[in-house]
Amino acid sequence: MRYDADAVRKAANEAVNAGVDPVEAMEKGLGLGIKEVGERFHRGECFLPHLVMAADVLDEGAKILQASLTKEASAKVKKGTVVIATVEGDLHDLGKNIVAMMLKANGFDVYDLGKDVRSDAIIAKAKEVNADIIAVSSLMSTTRPYQRELIEELKRLGLRDKFIVMVGGGPVNRGWAEEIEADGYGHNAAEAVREAMLLMEKKKAGVQRT
Amino acid sequence: MGRTNMISLIEIADRMRNGPKMSSRDWDMALFRKMTELVKEYEIKCPKETTEWINTDDGLADAAWQAAVDFVTDTGCFCINRERVVKFAEDEVKGAIKSMQKKVLIGEGKDARVWKQHKIEGNEPLNIAPGHHAPFTEDLANLVVQNFAMIPRLDFLEGFNFPTIDGYEIYGPPIEAYASKRQVVWLREGIRRAGRPGAAIVYYPITTAASSFLATIDHVAGLRPTDGVLLSVLPDVKVEHDLLTVATVLQSYGYFGISGSFGIAGGFCGGAEGAIIEGLVKTIIAWIVYRDNLYYNGVEHLNHVSGVERVMFPIHFARSVVYQATLRNSYGIPMHWPIPVSELCTDSHLEELILRSVEAAVNGANLYVPRVSRSRMNGGQTPADAELMIDASDAAIRMQIRRSEVYEVFKPVITKLMKNTTPEPGKLITECYDLQRHRPSSEYQQLIAKVKSEFKDCGLQWE
Repeated sequence: MRYDADAVRKAANEAVNAGVDPVEAMEKGLGLGIKEVGERFHRGECFLPHLVMAADVLDEGAKILQASLTKEASAKVKKGTVVIATVEGDLHDLGKNIVAMMLKANGFDVYDLGKDVRSDAIIAKAKEVNADIIAVSSLMSTTRPYQRELIEELKRLGLRDKFIVMVGGGPVNRGWAEEIEADGYGHNAAEAVREAMLLMEKKKAGVQRT
Repeated sequence: MGRTNMISLIEIADRMRNGPKMSSRDWDMALFRKMTELVKEYEIKCPKETTEWINTDDGLADAAWQAAVDFVTDTGCFCINRERVVKFAEDEVKGAIKSMQKKVLIGEGKDARVWKQHKIEGNEPLNIAPGHHAPFTEDLANLVVQNFAMIPRLDFLEGFNFPTIDGYEIYGPPIEAYASKRQVVWLREGIRRAGRPGAAIVYYPITTAASSFLATIDHVAGLRPTDGVLLSVLPDVKVEHDLLTVATVLQSYGYFGISGSFGIAGGFCGGAEGAIIEGLVKTIIAWIVYRDNLYYNGVEHLNHVSGVERVMFPIHFARSVVYQATLRNSYGIPMHWPIPVSELCTDSHLEELILRSVEAAVNGANLYVPRVSRSRMNGGQTPADAELMIDASDAAIRMQIRRSEVYEVFKPVITKLMKNTTPEPGKLITECYDLQRHRPSSEYQQLIAKVKSEFKDCGLQWE
């Protein structure tokens, strides 16, 4: 497996010039490549850096193909926009990094704010990029409450219905997610991606949050 | 002339603020590239066959150590707060390694213990830290601490995380500091009630904020100069201001430091081979930057440590290289952290615990807190697990099992564990252990007896 940005840019330009449907090029070209990397990661044949390199290379190709997409086609290709971060006071980010990469590998636009991020900064970014999903990670029981704080802040600002909120991390479980009224939870990266896709399908189908 | 003194912590603080600038992301990828390069240069290889379960190639251990020294000398470590690289000169690194402590005196009076290096395939009983580093609720705190403190072979007792204190949720610096103090007070009281007033306690970080650590200093009721702190984790070889602050303050008070310096296969170091080097790099950095003395180094896999699945091969091999490299090339004191993926009171939890405890003895690594890898609240460990860990390592020493024999002797159990890697759901401590009477439930006792019998059939010489 090579992670050759030049080759990807060349191939993307050739596809555009040859009149290949950009949606097909994204889904059956770039998409298959990064999906393969994701699956190899899942099987332990690739590691986190390979996911990062694959995501970087995907971005190079996607920029070229997206430029020739209509607005409708672009919306169809994109699975959703995610703002992801580790909450305030928490410097752990390995799990969050994996989830971010896997979401990207599965067609989401991901804005990774890093670690130790305050709730207001997360919300500000989500508003700025018109995110569909806010995903927050916590690896210590003492930082887990900031996930609840984020949701309460969204309610206070009248923005709760605007964003899907997903939570994850070591001390987090589905019971906690339900307690704080998060929309989704992932026990691991693969489950987080499945949950994100399911929640986006529901959003697109106009299913109300409960 | 080579340096023979340690680089000062103040000098390190200065390098954290003035070192070369780099983004965290660029550091992560640079780590991967350097590890990949070193794996190739030093021919760090894990075997393809499970028959090579534990490393027997001393040359490989030595090469891994040298690769780690090269990493620290060429690349250094990364300060998260300032996004700067902290670099070290070759003589600083070599001088620091020479200064590592082969023995650490912990605790006081009749409960003082010497925590030290053991030999690979040695015949001395290991040092033991039997409990905590697992989450418990505050209502159980007193009894849990006392139960673990009653284990006679205890050398030190580590604290634990809990979600509430006095009914208040723990987050935000004031309550975090208050909770930190209460943790060490519980530990101190627990070891007193167990008749071990001088035993060493170790603060387990409620948060990584310096204020929480420093709140524990209290010669009477809290942390004494003969006690310790779990100080560093070094994710992706990254260091941070608050932890250096703690080391800087405590170095004049007195403490011993513990580092969670295992390499994580699947992360930015790459696969098992990169993780070997990472585990050793972290050990060296933990000493230089934080003055940590005891290292639960080794190697774990990303999926295993996060409780997704049991990952054994070649991780057990990789782990053994790290312990052996540490013992052969430094005075560093490695510890093995048995973290079965299955929950308490399950066959596979006990099988994995015993196997890993046997391997610790074979590799010369001391034993550090058995715990379910991704513990539920009150579901991480019981004193029975700690006692089993001790018995298993003692049995392995009695058996005088060699590194080359581990796989063939324990093949039936290894094969069983590798066939089904899905974590088994189990019980909480209150469901399988009687904290009032200090004994496992009859169900757990029977299960322990059954699994011990399984290992006895393999030849393990229980007392």
